[in-house]
Amino acid sequence: MAFVELVGLTKQFGSLAVVNQVNLNIEKGSLVCLLGPSGCGKTTTLRLIAGFIEPSGGEIRVGGKRISAPGASAPPEARNMSMIFQSYALWPHMTVYENVAYGLRLRKLSKDEIRVRVDEILSITKLSALAERYPAELSGGQQQRVSLARALVIKPETLLLDEPLSNLDANLREEMRFEIRRLHDAFRYTTVYVTHDQSEAMTTADLIVVMNQGGIEQAGSPEDIYQRPESEFVARFIGGTNIFRGKKISADTVACEGGLNLRCGSGSFAAQGDTAVSVRHHDILLSEHKPTASDTNAIAGTVARQIYLGSHRDYLVTIPGGETVRTVAPVSVAIPVGQQVWLNFPPENCRALAR
Amino acid sequence: MASSAYATPFNRGIDFSKPVFILLAAILAVLVLFPLFWLLLYAFTDPARQFTLMNFVKLVSDPAMRRSFGLAIGMAALVGVLACAIATPMAWLVARTDLPYARFVRILVTASFVTPPFLGAIAWEILAAPNSGIFNILYRVLFDRPTDDYLFNIYSFAGLVFAIACYTFPYVFTLVANALDRVPSDLEDASAILGAKWLTTLSRVTLPMVVPAMLAGALIAILQALTMFGSPAILALPAGFHVITTKIWSLFQFPPKLELAAAAAIPLLILTILLLRGQKWILGRKGYTVLGGKSGAPRVTELGKFKPLALLFVFGILCLTVIFPYAALIKTAFTETIDASISWDSFTLKHLNFVLFDFSATRLALFNTLLLGVLTATVCTAISLVVSYLVARKSVMGAGILGVLATAPVAIPGIVLGVGLFLSYANPTFKLYGTLWILLIAFMTIEMPAGYQQLSSAFQGVHPELEEASRILGASRLKALWQITAPMLRTSVVATWCFVFIGTIRELSATILLTTANTKLVSVIIYDLNESGDLGAISVLGLMLMVVSFFVVYIASKMPLGAGRLQPRG
Ligand SMILES: Nc1ncnc2c1ncn2[C@@H]1O[C@H](COP(=O)(O)OP(=O)(O)OP(=O)(O)O)[C@@H](O)[C@H]1O
Ligand SMILES: [Mg+2]
Repeated sequence: MAFVELVGLTKQFGSLAVVNQVNLNIEKGSLVCLLGPSGCGKTTTLRLIAGFIEPSGGEIRVGGKRISAPGASAPPEARNMSMIFQSYALWPHMTVYENVAYGLRLRKLSKDEIRVRVDEILSITKLSALAERYPAELSGGQQQRVSLARALVIKPETLLLDEPLSNLDANLREEMRFEIRRLHDAFRYTTVYVTHDQSEAMTTADLIVVMNQGGIEQAGSPEDIYQRPESEFVARFIGGTNIFRGKKISADTVACEGGLNLRCGSGSFAAQGDTAVSVRHHDILLSEHKPTASDTNAIAGTVARQIYLGSHRDYLVTIPGGETVRTVAPVSVAIPVGQQVWLNFPPENCRALAR
Repeated sequence: MASSAYATPFNRGIDFSKPVFILLAAILAVLVLFPLFWLLLYAFTDPARQFTLMNFVKLVSDPAMRRSFGLAIGMAALVGVLACAIATPMAWLVARTDLPYARFVRILVTASFVTPPFLGAIAWEILAAPNSGIFNILYRVLFDRPTDDYLFNIYSFAGLVFAIACYTFPYVFTLVANALDRVPSDLEDASAILGAKWLTTLSRVTLPMVVPAMLAGALIAILQALTMFGSPAILALPAGFHVITTKIWSLFQFPPKLELAAAAAIPLLILTILLLRGQKWILGRKGYTVLGGKSGAPRVTELGKFKPLALLFVFGILCLTVIFPYAALIKTAFTETIDASISWDSFTLKHLNFVLFDFSATRLALFNTLLLGVLTATVCTAISLVVSYLVARKSVMGAGILGVLATAPVAIPGIVLGVGLFLSYANPTFKLYGTLWILLIAFMTIEMPAGYQQLSSAFQGVHPELEEASRILGASRLKALWQITAPMLRTSVVATWCFVFIGTIRELSATILLTTANTKLVSVIIYDLNESGDLGAISVLGLMLMVVSFFVVYIASKMPLGAGRLQPRG
């Protein structure tokens, strides 16, 4: 049985359902990322789990025990969870040490035990030298680590993080991303991590939950989400992709505009109406000559733009249907703008999307 | 694994926010609505409590009553005009020119802010009463005039307007000076680059932008003048005319006409609400938000050869509002009589001695005043703290209503509240008349809006996540409030406490209707002594009041407020 269960979880503000019928099972000790565009309800979901807001429908269970339901929710302090806030929420009137010790003091631990535990977590988070500083005297990354230490020191069953890295600069973000994963692997608490940055989700998560407009689009491992998206939204949101649209003409082939027929190696087809086909930028082969193989999965187009990016070249190619296809090619493949090129879409890289 | 000794749910407090909410809502509703209810009841009924409009008919048909209303409104309007005329140029000089000692001027204006207007009125009595006023005595001596001749008469309509304006112009000054501080200088530069001379820029760009601030300040000055009891009672009554507030008070004199007093309070209440709405409307208009200021230091105009003139103007105003009155109070406090010359021979501690030891009423009044000041400040701050928390964090459904209730008394003038409270609690059911309780209730109601507004803006500066971080680690709502929010708000809490304390110890408008021989306060004693003409004793008491006020502010500013590092991020 999953450790944290969201069952039909719904939250309405007025008539607007900000979180709508969310069902999700989170295994004990796993790290789950809630990923989605701004305003899709990630923070609201997290705050529902934390108990800061009460659901309008559905329930949340932890370890089989119901902790949130309309009219019957345990307060946040009774959930044995920890949370890392987007603003870090370090208390400016307490030193680093006092900030970290706070949760232990609430639990009425002895002074010695508090000291041992705080020292331990401070050294794990590389903060020992800063224990007597005030938050205002720390850099952004250090503040972030204090908020991590403060959340971890109480050994929570569940750790909640709301865009913990969004205030850091790019380098530090990379470093902290691995730090969070490292600490998670060391302590193995159940973690729910909210982000709108897909690479953050890809590198840290066991399970990625892609949210859109208050609902779950798809939940799966990073590989699942990237390689086997189930909807156009997911395909577009995770990693760049080209989407072609057309009618299914045989068991595995979709006829798109401009005479491009795409045989798809995986995915599902819409029973009626258009099926979308997703092909990632780097999964398209670009050449000056017509590929020999077959007459499906290839089309000629005109180079509309070509940019040298050092490690590769980035191409925009206009194809007869009027669509512009984005693709990448090795640096050695340099085709000037205006010239004709052939695009080859290997079937194993074409994924049909019913939604 | 995450399981550990701490994983079991631990002992935690019950969440009190619902009961606290209900309790506070009840307290505030009683404080605000009860007196209003009785006020309306009396205004619209006869002594047998049958509905009638006769009270209003009587008011309107009484020429003396009509006159007092007319005079009050005229007086208040003139105060507004005079306050603007004094304060706007002064604010501009201080905020936007190279006037020397600008900081010092601001401080002195604040000093006239904290002077209770009734004390100012008494000081002006000492200075400009027709017979005994210092100025008039000097005039007679210097120009060799007959003994019944005088230069100024503070006991007059003009004198009253002047004495009130002296202590209400700071409202205009503060608002306009702040607005001028925040007018972005690029707006003026833009005008200058288009070829406008500085006077054109001043009159076409700068001043129009502060007009809303000026009007808003003027409305507050008008409101203060209209609802003030002390100054008119001291200056208008000897001059032989009444204003609304003194008229209401006279209706309480034996034989009391409570129904008429209640009815007379209603127009004052309505006027107050209208003035406040007007002020809100002016400040809320779009033009004013331009003043949300950002760029650059404000543009400084060089006064050049006008500098001495400007200094003279500012110095003159400060003499009239602060320096002369305080000099007069100090002199009167420590010399035998008003007309005694200033020398070591005429120095005396007689008045101090009289006030502290001979006059039996003082010590009780001092004790009562301090007791009520401390109680009101403490209770009011505590309630405001919890109310602004509940409102700011929307932690209970309908918390907003608390904010509305806590702000409502701002629209109830002191004397109107006095009438309402008298009617509510001076009856056989409560028997609170003649106790300190009725005064405590009055002061709490009067000071609640100020306390609430200060603390709720302080709360807005504390990110809710700081509290949530504490709750998710295991603190109950009250614990989070106590351990996290309270320390961060400490400075604001202390400031609010002082503010309420100082406001309380100088209150007169409501007190005058609710006090009895056993519950005298310093402000009432001052008023009583004025009736008997004992200006020396008044001066001592007035100065004591001011010393206590400044002392409280000083102590508060020196209090160790912990590690005051309230900026969470770099
Ligand atoms: N207290 C509230 N009252 C009304 N609407 C709210 C409230 N809180 C959130 N919303 C709305 O719910 C929607 C989802 O908000 P939420 O904060 O969960 O988004 P998010 O996915 O965390 O977005 P972001 O990535 O920008 O943080 C938004 O449209 C927001 O305006
Ligand atoms: Mg969010």
